[in-house]
Amino acid sequence: MKKIDKKIADAYFHARVRLIAILLLFWFVVSFGMVLFAEALAQYTLNGFPLHYFMGAQGSIVVFIILLFVNAYISDRIDQKYGLVEKRVKATKGQTLQS
Amino acid sequence: MDTQFLVSLLLIVASFGLYIGIAVFNRARQTSEFFVAGRGVPAIYNGMAIGADWMSAASFIGLAGTVMVLGYDGLAYIMGWTGGYLLLTFLLAPQLRKYGRYTVPEFIGDRFQSKTALVIAAIATIIISFTYSIGQLAGSGVVIGRLFEVDAKIGVMIGVVIIAIYATFGGMKGITWTQVAQYIILILAYLIPVIFMSLQITNNPIPWLSYGNVVSELGELDRELGISEYFAPFESASKWQFIALMFSLMAGTAGLPHVIVRFYTVSTMKAARWSGAWALLFIGLLYLSAPAYAAFSRFILMKQVAGSPIDSLPAWTDKWVNTGLLTMADTSGDGILQWKEIAISNDIVVMATPEIADLGVFVIGLVAAGAMAAALSTAGGLLIAISSSFSHDIYYRIINPRATERKRMSVARWSILIATIVAGVVALNPPGVITQIVAWAFALASGTFFPALILGVWWKRANAPGVIAGMIVGLLVTLTYIFLAKYGGFTILGIIDTGAGIFGATSAILTNVIVSLSTKPPSQKLQDEVMDLRYPEQLTFKDGEVWKDDRVI
Repeated sequence: MKKIDKKIADAYFHARVRLIAILLLFWFVVSFGMVLFAEALAQYTLNGFPLHYFMGAQGSIVVFIILLFVNAYISDRIDQKYGLVEKRVKATKGQTLQS
Repeated sequence: MDTQFLVSLLLIVASFGLYIGIAVFNRARQTSEFFVAGRGVPAIYNGMAIGADWMSAASFIGLAGTVMVLGYDGLAYIMGWTGGYLLLTFLLAPQLRKYGRYTVPEFIGDRFQSKTALVIAAIATIIISFTYSIGQLAGSGVVIGRLFEVDAKIGVMIGVVIIAIYATFGGMKGITWTQVAQYIILILAYLIPVIFMSLQITNNPIPWLSYGNVVSELGELDRELGISEYFAPFESASKWQFIALMFSLMAGTAGLPHVIVRFYTVSTMKAARWSGAWALLFIGLLYLSAPAYAAFSRFILMKQVAGSPIDSLPAWTDKWVNTGLLTMADTSGDGILQWKEIAISNDIVVMATPEIADLGVFVIGLVAAGAMAAALSTAGGLLIAISSSFSHDIYYRIINPRATERKRMSVARWSILIATIVAGVVALNPPGVITQIVAWAFALASGTFFPALILGVWWKRANAPGVIAGMIVGLLVTLTYIFLAKYGGFTILGIIDTGAGIFGATSAILTNVIVSLSTKPPSQKLQDEVMDLRYPEQLTFKDGEVWKDDRVI
């Protein structure tokens, strides 16, 4: 165990929270946003679909999946930047060791 | 005994032989392995297991039919059941993994240091998981019942026996690898008919690209008939109901104990993030295909079935008309079956369409095997959640803290067995249609666990009285709204029973915050534990300082 500067730990935390906030903004726009403006979107067509239908049936889901992978990838980069690459889990609080 | 029966039976038996074989092979030895598979499952397989747990009878059997019947409004289920994974993976899963407890109630009990909160959470887990598993067992009964052409009740009994055997003896480890196999069979069973129909109708083997034109053609057919277009928004319910339902399904996803417990099976916070991403990719494959399935089914029914003479309908119609879930009556008396004269139940669309489109005995049998996998795999995850709640949270922590590992193991197995049988008995005569029961389970999860977990992880000031009051209020508001909307005709902004979770979650969050702030803050130790969740696995927050553990194990 060694002590690390709390400022660095907090910078790490804020970087993660900022990432999550940005990703959830996209999430909100493609789900709730698209539903709120469904009638207006219905005038446009994409690949044969009325646009509101496309967003509900395909667009939003594809964006959700991309956002999750972006989160996993960028979070790994943040971990690396702060030198916090996780190796194996340590045994604490009822966790079980895996060899 | 026709060929179809033999092929379907063979495929179901072969797939179940595979699942049970894997479960027996991995038979759990120790309690910790039994509950969370020793926390060593790689992210990609864990993603598949989450997918199999997730895609229940409601998703596999009911979803495409719901989209077909409701049109655009049915897409609330598609967006809600996928979008919830972002809330879960971003806001809860990594933190809950780091906290390192076996079950959700245990997390709530320790985070708030309150046995009362633990017991309420354990009871809520049991109520939610039990309600949900009734739907699954009822779904398996329909499939088995149709297959053997016996009453669905006998089908339920057969399903109960199968699930009880592998859940009791395999534990979660058996189930994790069993679920991976189930996911693969389930997704193949779903995609193959969609791809075949896409080829049949559009000559394009990629349904996701080809069905857009089918959707607009359906709109044209509807205009000719003078009914509202297939894709017209908010025809069956208000826009607020769409939003409330979508929210309720999303928040419920983030709060469902049997899904969250899967994130305990990975070894690090990093693995929890990747598990969530893989899970949605695997789940998304089915959810992207369901609206295509719906569009093709409706197209075939409108173009090939509607308009035929009433006395020369194809052979499959009789079989489904006999189930009572399909009616075709020539009410206009012109000798021709019109589209408006066909009444098809949501629940048979996925099962019946391969027959209607004449995709062959193998594809029809595969869909039956997939439907069984969907119903029983979810039931397996739910029954484990019930069993953990009872044996670990109620029995070991409250009733008998000195119980030996052997004794706890035996309580866990007995509680799975008893829960399976009781759920089976209720499923013999289900209290509502499957999709309805499942939506209620989600509403209850969004009214109880979602607020408790979000505030527990992200707000260190949240305390025991707050969470206890919040869970109770959320549970009562959700239940009351479901009953008032369903039986009392009371609605707000056109939001019906399935959207009740939005009121439950709002009132639970408000109650939790108000009660927490007006009572004294949690101890410094508890607040430190919440601070600790901000940092990754190898950092520890203690007395205002952050420590790093460089040991590699």
